[in-house]
Amino acid sequence: MTGRTPVRLTVNETDYDVTVEPRRLLADVLREDCNLTGTKLGCEHGVCGSCTVLVDGEGVRSCLMFAVQCAGRDIRTVEGLAAHGRLHAFQQAISTEHGLQCGFCTAGFVMLVVGALEDDPSIAEDPERLDGLLSSNLCRCTGYEGIRRAVLRAYGRNGTHEKDGAEGH
Amino acid sequence: MSDLPPTRAPVQPPVSPPPTFTHVPQGAQSWLLGRREDARLVTGAGRYVGDLKVAGCLDAAFVRSRVAHGRLLAVDTGAAAEIDGVVGVWSAADMGDELPVVPSFTPGSADEERQRPALAVDRVRYVGEPVAVIVGTDRYVAEDGADAVRVDIDPLPVLVDPGQAAASSTWLFDGVDNVADEMEFGEPVDDEVWQRAAVVVEGAYRQPRLAPTPMEPRAILAVPELDGRVTIWVSHQAPHRLQKDLATALQLDVERIRVRVPDSGGAFGSKSGTFPEYLSVVRLALRLGRPVRWIEDRAETLSGATHGRGQNQRVRIAADEDGRMLALALEVDADVGGYPIAGFVAAETGLAAAGPYLTPKVHARVRTVVTNTTPTAPYRGAGRPEQVYAVERTVDLLARRLGMDPAELRRRNFIPPEAFPYEAPTGRRYDSGQYALALDKALELVDYGYWREEQRRRRRSDTERALGIGLCSFAERSGLEQAPMAHEWASLDVTPDGRVVARIGTCSTGQSHETVFPELVAHTLGIPAQCVSLIEGDTDEVVQGIGTFGSRSMQAGGSALHQAALELIEEAKRRAVRMGCAEPDVGYADGTVSAGERSWTLGDLATASPEPLRVEGVYDNAAAFPFGTYVAVVEVDPELGNVRVLRLVAIDDCGVAVDPEIVEDQTIGAIVQGIGQALYEEMPYDNQGTPQADGLLGYLLPTIGELPPLTLDTTVTPNPNTALGAKGAGEAGCIGTPPAIVNAVIDALGQSVAGTDIGGVQLPLTPETCWRAAAGQEVGAR
Ligand code: FES
Ligand code: FES
Repeated sequence: MTGRTPVRLTVNETDYDVTVEPRRLLADVLREDCNLTGTKLGCEHGVCGSCTVLVDGEGVRSCLMFAVQCAGRDIRTVEGLAAHGRLHAFQQAISTEHGLQCGFCTAGFVMLVVGALEDDPSIAEDPERLDGLLSSNLCRCTGYEGIRRAVLRAYGRNGTHEKDGAEGH
Repeated sequence: MSDLPPTRAPVQPPVSPPPTFTHVPQGAQSWLLGRREDARLVTGAGRYVGDLKVAGCLDAAFVRSRVAHGRLLAVDTGAAAEIDGVVGVWSAADMGDELPVVPSFTPGSADEERQRPALAVDRVRYVGEPVAVIVGTDRYVAEDGADAVRVDIDPLPVLVDPGQAAASSTWLFDGVDNVADEMEFGEPVDDEVWQRAAVVVEGAYRQPRLAPTPMEPRAILAVPELDGRVTIWVSHQAPHRLQKDLATALQLDVERIRVRVPDSGGAFGSKSGTFPEYLSVVRLALRLGRPVRWIEDRAETLSGATHGRGQNQRVRIAADEDGRMLALALEVDADVGGYPIAGFVAAETGLAAAGPYLTPKVHARVRTVVTNTTPTAPYRGAGRPEQVYAVERTVDLLARRLGMDPAELRRRNFIPPEAFPYEAPTGRRYDSGQYALALDKALELVDYGYWREEQRRRRRSDTERALGIGLCSFAERSGLEQAPMAHEWASLDVTPDGRVVARIGTCSTGQSHETVFPELVAHTLGIPAQCVSLIEGDTDEVVQGIGTFGSRSMQAGGSALHQAALELIEEAKRRAVRMGCAEPDVGYADGTVSAGERSWTLGDLATASPEPLRVEGVYDNAAAFPFGTYVAVVEVDPELGNVRVLRLVAIDDCGVAVDPEIVEDQTIGAIVQGIGQALYEEMPYDNQGTPQADGLLGYLLPTIGELPPLTLDTTVTPNPNTALGAKGAGEAGCIGTPPAIVNAVIDALGQSVAGTDIGGVQLPLTPETCWRAAAGQEVGAR
């Protein structure tokens, strides 16, 4: 626990030079040291998925990783999705479809979906795989229906994702 | 550290106020969103308590009892205090006279004989009870400190069941027995009624303890301000009550305390209390003169916060040979855990005992009993799911006993629409209802006839899985019956540019108030929704309030805003008259007062006089009674005991829905919590009082994979007591769902014709429970 290590974290294409204890979780370092508080902690033991971020394009639970493990890797968090004042298609869709209420689980679901569907949008077309993916995260408010609809809206046939970005105008 | 440090002035540089929660991301004005809240919530720009940054902030961590019952002999804080970064460690003894006590929810009640200190004194009464608090420079350090504290406890006999505790000679509180309260509703039913009735059925049920589990556990940040006040940022449902309780417990002037609720990660009833941890955090922030926060973790909250439900129930129903219910008796032993903090939850179960039925004699006897378990407190539904479950299972038992269709039995017993307002024998007065309408609609939507036929077909075939159909009809309560809890404060201010600022004493923890309340005000005033903004959850801005619980936000808060908006229209007209308008007919439409040729917008009227154009008031909106019928169709695998819900149809009547989409969001969310209660959720204890789940792998919440096909619809019976007509929504889903599913499973498993269901199928219906029931000869037989 003693001894702080300097680490360079690259989050949303910005470098953060932080000095942290090796035991500090990626989630805590993102939130406390990088001031990126969009990533939430719902359980701190790897079950709820609220803390999901992308590391080198893969969805990971940032409560199960140490920040020092992420040096030199490409980290993406919910703060990095909206670009040029436009929402990412899935951020837009999860709002349109009422896929959130309190919003505490939302960043986790957004990063989970974006990470998996950008890799393989066909998941949206396969209800079983889609349920499999979404059942890795917990939401206590919405009953999930809106989250599922949001995936279809963004990534399904004629999904808004193809049209690159938000529908806002 | 054994002594409290002397009070210090706040640290310099001055504590910077945390950001407010009205963070609007760049570009958001042009986004078309489902809700106003979403601009910040989908981008990570929301601000929950744990996201607030304050210079010099310290973190608190708690040491909790691992023993369910015992004498607290010693708390050794020495090693913890040595740790680098630990600012202080306090046990109750270290706090001395400064140790706060949780104020009783009902002052003057029996709860006051069983006081709950912020940290355990002499005795621990449940696993998870706070014993010491550590304040450190960050959460890691504070937790190191917690690990280093040594607690010596001499164990005492442990009581985990309320029935056992009520009869035990081991008392949790010296000098007073374990029955904290005994309540009766209605007149006891004469023996003769039971003896003479054509049929009498009886069931005994267990309501397991549930962990409410909002995704954000409890969170508080106390910031001493330079002017001597303290700002409390907290995830809470009732900021004004918390403010008052903090003032009482810490002996502060109420005016010194500002409670602010930023974005909140859900509550479901579990964030309405004044928790012992909150008292310690605020006390220490004031003593240290530094901001202190406490962010609870999941393992901690599962036994350290509060649980919901937790009742042993016994129900008897007498009926004539046509199935007309003659008498209903309900007995409840409510397990209130280590400290009786919320006996009103069990009282609701008793008061509601009659349900939607016209039973002439109804009697409920409710005991609240302390045990060596986590205290129970409201969890979504708070007393109504318990009542509905007990009665609806027993109504099904009656149907089986009579060989009658359970839908027909219910229909025969409903309070008819023309009987309202109806006073039940328990003293509850129902406002309005069309119970048969909801039932019929549910049967039609599920295609009841088809499933009954399918059930018969499967019974004839030996190879197919058993199918069951379960009903639940209920009348619930939104808002509260008694003043002052039936009141809500609201104000509307018109700004010179014609915008309207609404303030309301409710407090959103995810219920979309920021979207729906401005919509409501705008609609009433006939102005665009974007011209109205909402302020709530801040005791400086909102001068008084009751909060959000019991589905009351729209029923009480929405009605208050609606009444305020109607008053604002009248006030605007009066202003126009005062401005010299002599026309006899002053009209108002779409934000404009007009008389003859002249007209004034609300903004004109606000600028025309130095006196602000505003209305403010406390509006009285007594409880309303939403209702509905839920039908579940299930299939049970007799080999594995798995339950598959094939259909769930929910017909809800919450009066006029101001925003049907938001109501539906609430309904689905509550239904999924109800599915959790029916099939997965329980916080079990061993007989040493040790909770058996300390994480979300042990305490199972439904995921999307557990979602059955849902069909939702409504009937609309307006609230007859408010102009708005809304009855309130939010809890019905977890009231109607569990009995419908359980009745369906029992229907699938077999036809018990016995008049008793005691020791039979109990919640949650795990595969093991169903497998055992399927393997037994008759479900529900003694
Ligand atoms: S906080 Fe990481 S999985 Fe729950
Ligand atoms: S929106 Fe509240 S937990 Fe998902």
